[in-house]
Amino acid sequence: MGKLELVQSLKTDSGRIWNVSWHPKGTALASCGEDKSIRIWTKDLRGKWINKVVLTDGHKRTIRQIAWSPSGNYLASASFDATTCIWDKKCGEFECNATLEGHDNEVKSVAWSSSGLFLATCSRDKSVWVWEVNDEDEYDCTSVINSHTQDVKKVVFHPSDNFLASCSYDDTIKLYKDEPSEFEWICYETLKGHTSTVWSISYDSTGTRLASCSDDCTVKIWKEYPTGFPPGNGGPTWKCICTLDGYHDRTIYDISWCHSTGLIATACGDDCIRVFKEDAGSDSDAPTFSMVTKEKGHNQDVNCVTWNPEVPGLLASCSDDGDIKLWEFKK
Amino acid sequence: MSRFSGALQLTDLDDFITPSQECIKPVKIEKKTTSTTGSKIKIQEDGYFQIEEDGSVQKLQKVEITLADCLACSGCITSAESVLVTQQSQEELLRVFEENKRIKLDGTSAAKLIIVSLSIQPILSLAIRYQLSPNDCVSKLAQYFKQLGADMVVDMTIADDFAILETQREFIRRYRATETDGVQNVLPMLASSCPGWVCYAEKTHGSYILPYIATTKSPQQIMGSLIKDYVCCNLGNRSIYHVTVMPCYDKKLEASREDFFSEETESRDVDCVITAIELEQMLSRDGIELSSLDNGKLCQPWISKESEVSPALVKHIGSGSGGYADHIFKYAAHELFGQECDSLEYKNLRNPDFREVILEKDGKVLLRFAIANGFRNIQNLVQKLKRGKSLYHYVEVMACPSGCLNGGAQVRPKEGRTVKDLVIEVEQLYSSLPCHSPEDSKIIKQLYDNWLGGQDSDKCSGVLHTQYHEIAKIPNALNIKW
Repeated sequence: MGKLELVQSLKTDSGRIWNVSWHPKGTALASCGEDKSIRIWTKDLRGKWINKVVLTDGHKRTIRQIAWSPSGNYLASASFDATTCIWDKKCGEFECNATLEGHDNEVKSVAWSSSGLFLATCSRDKSVWVWEVNDEDEYDCTSVINSHTQDVKKVVFHPSDNFLASCSYDDTIKLYKDEPSEFEWICYETLKGHTSTVWSISYDSTGTRLASCSDDCTVKIWKEYPTGFPPGNGGPTWKCICTLDGYHDRTIYDISWCHSTGLIATACGDDCIRVFKEDAGSDSDAPTFSMVTKEKGHNQDVNCVTWNPEVPGLLASCSDDGDIKLWEFKK
Repeated sequence: MSRFSGALQLTDLDDFITPSQECIKPVKIEKKTTSTTGSKIKIQEDGYFQIEEDGSVQKLQKVEITLADCLACSGCITSAESVLVTQQSQEELLRVFEENKRIKLDGTSAAKLIIVSLSIQPILSLAIRYQLSPNDCVSKLAQYFKQLGADMVVDMTIADDFAILETQREFIRRYRATETDGVQNVLPMLASSCPGWVCYAEKTHGSYILPYIATTKSPQQIMGSLIKDYVCCNLGNRSIYHVTVMPCYDKKLEASREDFFSEETESRDVDCVITAIELEQMLSRDGIELSSLDNGKLCQPWISKESEVSPALVKHIGSGSGGYADHIFKYAAHELFGQECDSLEYKNLRNPDFREVILEKDGKVLLRFAIANGFRNIQNLVQKLKRGKSLYHYVEVMACPSGCLNGGAQVRPKEGRTVKDLVIEVEQLYSSLPCHSPEDSKIIKQLYDNWLGGQDSDKCSGVLHTQYHEIAKIPNALNIKW
């Protein structure tokens, strides 16, 4: 067993916090929520995390998610006002210098590709959009993909290649790739297995496995079989190789697969944060995971958990209770 | 798979907060007495019943939602698909054919004159599907419709010609208004013939984009006016039922617009729109081998009642969506700058569905035109316009990728073939047709004189042009929570 030790609680008094996102260098944390603002938290000289910057006036409604670009120079925010804002620091301070319009209604999620050249957004309008960043810091829409049949909850890029994954209220996960001959991103795989809304997904460090969490109270691990399944039978495909059932009593809203430690953290509607660890020596085609800790982290739904990309074991969480908390996972 | 263009597939239907809210059109209930206690409604399998205070039960009327209601609402659009099925379907078409046959037999009342107008894109789609030459395909289709009960089958090229000539002149008017009078918001002129694009612009971008859209009617609606106004008049004001054969479902929405309803005749300029994919279904259901049918002829009722010709399909220069960009470019180069352009060289931008062409003189760009097909390119165009970064004078905008030859209701590729391959085949077939210039059409000149009273007459702007309406977004009380 291990445990989550509270490092610091960041109070905001700004209502429900929907999402927190680490700067790629791990030195700053951005948060967003129903007060329509973005807060950036950094460490002061004494090592305490403090709120340095509050970005306002970008959105007219709740900000559902924020994402740092791989360079750390840009911050994208997805809002229920149907727009996505891109903030940059060209003039010293963060300013919103581009607004991506086009979704019909609430934008639920935004993500940058590993190269920083593509941006993906998804919405209650059931569509996933891929935008390309051009030379003049403009964002051109390269694809509008209507493959989900319901509200799309989350978009996540592959850790190193031009692949994209999304999950939806239609209980499925879809995988997309850039198809240069079509000048478009296309859906190449649909992962079915969850029996209710899939709220979030997270790739492992290699991009060959994907973890998903759902309203059906399970976590599923999916694996890519590049030569078909069973291996050697046809083209690439993805299979569910593990289901973590019986651990969660309520909807699981978010999942984060740590790229340095391999730990999986979940954010649950029962106010708890759980951490899972793959058992040593488990079969790669049927792996087993053990829950190494469960911590009642918040007073209300936990909306988001995310591992720091540079500091192994440092986890950030946020909740409907308005708190952002930083945790250290200890064995 | 939806038969609407991509632009109309984004909907506002579902959310985890408000499951499947389908339509919010309020129902009007005629109340006999005013009750102080409110009324009780009982739900049974066969309907909803209102229980009156005296205990009597009254069945509540089911709400009928018309296509016009759908178009006037800022909400979903795909729920319009089910409405279309009843109002603009093959079943409705067959019902009208049957009823008209019966009236003819009975001889009790005046039968309608049924006219079917064929547009080029579905003809080519069906020609490939049934391995016929384009002209053979038209002949067989003419025969098929006559067997069903059509009185006349006509070619819509005449309406394409009108649309091209009118947009050419409209462009010059807009260009001059900008250059000499400094009028804002008239350039770039944006194409008006794609109802998917027009509907999207009305619902989503409203007053911002609408002034840029050409007022010239689409070929389908010009055909509607020609048939219901000129031809109708020439045939002694016979009651006409007008069917068009089109490449997408969006055309059904267009035909249903209030702007194209005549109070006078209490009918629409186009009564029913049928698409290539529906024709394929009709033929297969009737067990008809299209190639085995006799060759039918096409009528030209705008020339004379008896005029009948064998089909001789033509293409226009430029795209298979009507060739607007090419025609307007050449015309404007000539009219405005005295330049003759033989062939236009387009440069692909981000993808082959966004192309631009420029006219340069002494290093100065005189004209900058583009063709933007498909929803993503519409997005990029609209955003450019909003940010004031559009340098275009004209953009041919079509909601379907690859334009109208790849319309949402064209015949699907056979098992094992890709849409892309099929589109290439349709495009090749289109480019194999002999080229035709609308300026050379004698009959068009005559119609301008005889029907419209000249090219700049009031009747001309009344009959060949239309207007657009901003549709205000209705905020949905259920999702303003955050």
